[in-house]
Amino acid sequence: MRKVLVLILVVAYGFAFAQTEVRVWHMEQPPYRVERMQELIDAFNAANPDVRVVQEVQNWGDVVPLALGAVRARIQPDILFTIPDFTVTMRATGAVQPVTELAERLDEEHGFLDAAIDPYTYDGEVWAVPMYGMVMSLWYRADVLEDAGIDPPSTWEELLEAAEALTGDGRYGIGIPGSRSLYTDQVIYNFMITAGAEDIFDEDGSIRFDNPETVRAFEMYERLYQYSPPDSVNWIWGDAEAAFAAGQVPMIVQFTVITTFDQQTDEPADNLQVVTIPVPEEGGQRGNIYYSNAAMILTTDEDRRDGAERFLAYLLEPETYGRFLTMEPGLFLPVTADGQDAATFWEDPLVVAYGAQVETMIENSQYGALFGFTTGQVFDEIGPISAQNLLSQVVQQMVVTGLSPEAAVQWGQREMEDAAP
Amino acid sequence: MKRIIVRLLPNWVLVALLLVLVFAPFYWIAISSLKTPPEVIRYPPTLVPQTFTLQNFQKLFASTDYPRYLLNSLTIALGTTLITVPMATLASYAVYRLEFPGRFLLLRLLVGTYVFPSILLLIPLFQIMAQFGLINSLWSLVVVNVTFTAPFSVWLMRAFLESVPYELEEAAALDGADFFQVLWYVIFPILRPGMATISIFTFITVWTEYPFASQLIIEHAKRPLPVGLASIIGQYQIDWGLLAAGAVFMALPVVILFAFVGRYFVEGLTAGALKS
Amino acid sequence: MHRRRAWLAFALLAPLCIWLIVTIVIPIAYLVQLSFTTTGIFGTAAEFAGLANFQRILGSERFWQSARNTLVWVIGNGLVQVTLAFTVARLLYRRTAFTRFMQIWIILPWVIPGVAAVIIWRWMLSGIGVVNYGIQSVGLVDAPISFFAQPSIAMATTIFVNSWRWFPLLTVILLAALRNIPTELREAAMVDGATENQTWWHVVMPLLRPVLYVLGLLGTLWSANVFDVIWLLTRGGPSGGTATLPIFIYEEAFTRFRLGSAAAASLFMMMFLLVFVVLFLQYGWGRDLRRRR
Repeated sequence: MRKVLVLILVVAYGFAFAQTEVRVWHMEQPPYRVERMQELIDAFNAANPDVRVVQEVQNWGDVVPLALGAVRARIQPDILFTIPDFTVTMRATGAVQPVTELAERLDEEHGFLDAAIDPYTYDGEVWAVPMYGMVMSLWYRADVLEDAGIDPPSTWEELLEAAEALTGDGRYGIGIPGSRSLYTDQVIYNFMITAGAEDIFDEDGSIRFDNPETVRAFEMYERLYQYSPPDSVNWIWGDAEAAFAAGQVPMIVQFTVITTFDQQTDEPADNLQVVTIPVPEEGGQRGNIYYSNAAMILTTDEDRRDGAERFLAYLLEPETYGRFLTMEPGLFLPVTADGQDAATFWEDPLVVAYGAQVETMIENSQYGALFGFTTGQVFDEIGPISAQNLLSQVVQQMVVTGLSPEAAVQWGQREMEDAAP
Repeated sequence: MKRIIVRLLPNWVLVALLLVLVFAPFYWIAISSLKTPPEVIRYPPTLVPQTFTLQNFQKLFASTDYPRYLLNSLTIALGTTLITVPMATLASYAVYRLEFPGRFLLLRLLVGTYVFPSILLLIPLFQIMAQFGLINSLWSLVVVNVTFTAPFSVWLMRAFLESVPYELEEAAALDGADFFQVLWYVIFPILRPGMATISIFTFITVWTEYPFASQLIIEHAKRPLPVGLASIIGQYQIDWGLLAAGAVFMALPVVILFAFVGRYFVEGLTAGALKS
Repeated sequence: MHRRRAWLAFALLAPLCIWLIVTIVIPIAYLVQLSFTTTGIFGTAAEFAGLANFQRILGSERFWQSARNTLVWVIGNGLVQVTLAFTVARLLYRRTAFTRFMQIWIILPWVIPGVAAVIIWRWMLSGIGVVNYGIQSVGLVDAPISFFAQPSIAMATTIFVNSWRWFPLLTVILLAALRNIPTELREAAMVDGATENQTWWHVVMPLLRPVLYVLGLLGTLWSANVFDVIWLLTRGGPSGGTATLPIFIYEEAFTRFRLGSAAAASLFMMMFLLVFVVLFLQYGWGRDLRRRR
């Protein structure tokens, strides 16, 4: 009898102090981002002895098959960082758990921006907790433009003129990618938004990619692309930044260049300037791509779910949120109202040095849109359309294969119609 | 005209070109890994390094789990070898030394399997492994690597088997040894070089296998070396110094191995190939 | 005696045969089954789809582009590798300390992981890479070449990198075959007044046929199977210009989430290769060797 009692006590003790492991997958690969994440995790683990959060770093290039495989083998992470289209893909596996309650609670506390939470709200639930926003802008070297007597461009024509004028002497006027990648998807989509072609689905879910506005955006891209370096056909984010830092191109369309510029050049901070994406002279609209990055919960285990919820809530606390966002200063923008004022964000040395640029980005985030998530409805086709980077493939049909913008867009329409799983 | 040029080209020019083609890439990656970041991306490139640093290797060890990947690769290689070598040796003895109905057909089928495009198995094997809970287990890679190495190993063994005189077997049998004793005491010792060749071939196959390792293993901690280090090919930034260090450390273990056994392996491989 | 031996043979062969049945035959059967179904993204239920997957593949522009690319890839790799291997084997034919060293170490590119080879060549071929520097400083070109910018250039580059990895294996085998040829034969030909080239073409080459025959078959199938070098170098781009069938199959399954049609494409690829093997065995250079056995 006593033995049984002791056993029960031991088991109870074990349960009370058993640590729940919460596994987090994210795609923020640069070593200093991983390091900052680990600092936050360590602090959380110290404050929550019953939970042990561990991070695993993946790559956007192959996370889709890996995550699907993990679900298939039932070893999926408990928290998976995501972007809206990835959530659509993952939801088809049935592993994504709704986080409506948690999102509502956090919304009351911190106030989510609509643009951040809307892409994850459909079918009556919220499917991921917004964590940070990313917005694209036109970055330029102030001194180079000044020397050439060029004002920062605000319209398509001005942008073309500037790119042309700045090309020469081993320098290219602008760097825009022609690769098959998420990066190219993102850059071309900026031009689609400003041309008024932000919707790729109709209300009923049919593809409306092939329309005059889209063609106009691709025409612009083709004209601009001739002032971009020949190897931009392989570029992803890092290459564009490297070319910008090396002075090969004085203008790029990118989320941020602050860290690279600060670390790899000796230029003063105000030599790096940023403006909103130029708009067409006629019939254009201000806008840019806005990515709401979020975190999905993939566990059905109660303890793990509890741990995961607490960890996400912890990251969004203003005291920690700023430190989370500044793992890449100026790239990750707050998705909460109180996050926008968080001292921990604005105190970061790089945010201090590049304060004006960061403010421009935050302002731009009000004009954000994301392909496939513009109409308030979400269609499954966006999963494969994004996973195979179809927008960038249309760009390649134009700049590599040599199709006219009209024909390339028609090709894209067919491929998108064919994308239904 | 072309022929004349070719004839006029002294052999040593061709030899020099050959050396450059084969070894210059290794030289280049080695010195790149030892340069400081500014020098790595300096243009024009410096053919002899002007700076020296080990920081790329420090970074490699800090940002990846190199020892773990190495251990995983070695574990898979060992597991695969332990299955492939006995299985292939026995099978090889049977098909090349024994008479049985259907022998010729079986040989044909074996040839069929070692030229079988392995990529076709990726999808079904993934599904099957998932059924058996083998996804994310090193065993799954042992299983597929045995499939890739065993049939070819049977064939490699042929040349070694043919070096065993029949008389030897017969003599042993006359001395009263039963079949398994003959196999164990007479045949196997002579086949040791062949088994060594198979082992090295297996090791190299495991060492270089990529598509299955990248699909069947989910977690970092279980990745073998090529897949583990492929993740240093960054998406947001490209750090050539780090990549060079990674490539050096992927090549290094085989270079060390080859310094010891390269000669035997090449001899074994070519002996097998010539008997075809 | 014979009967006992047959029984023994089956016993010795059993482990290998069972292994191969489980890991090749059953998966192929599963592949066939999969090709008649549509599945959603992994793990969701399969529905019978009849021939829809096969129709889809046959009507897919990308599939035919990949099939053409595979043909170019296989022929390109064959030509480059055989040329390189022959040149090098001829150079290393004489036995010296140097050739002994080379015979072992030349195989180095083949034994390093494809990932390492890809990193090395991506670095050397980049815009600020040493290759561009080299060809610019000797005046071959004025501006850096973008080795992956156009489909045809990217294909050539990828073939080159893959050949760099594989030709050493060919070289080593050819070299061994060459040394197997009795020197007297060549000397006799030379005495009869044949030039060195004539000796090569008329005496040496015919004797190499058995080896070349096997290498032709194996090499073709092995290069058709290459995945990692292409995937890591170009991901099949630009514009699908370097997407061979393995890349197509992989993408169909893992980025377009269509396991059924990926399975159908796999079966087509298997069929193409079978047709090749049959044609090669029937009409290939050296088919007469088979009869001799």
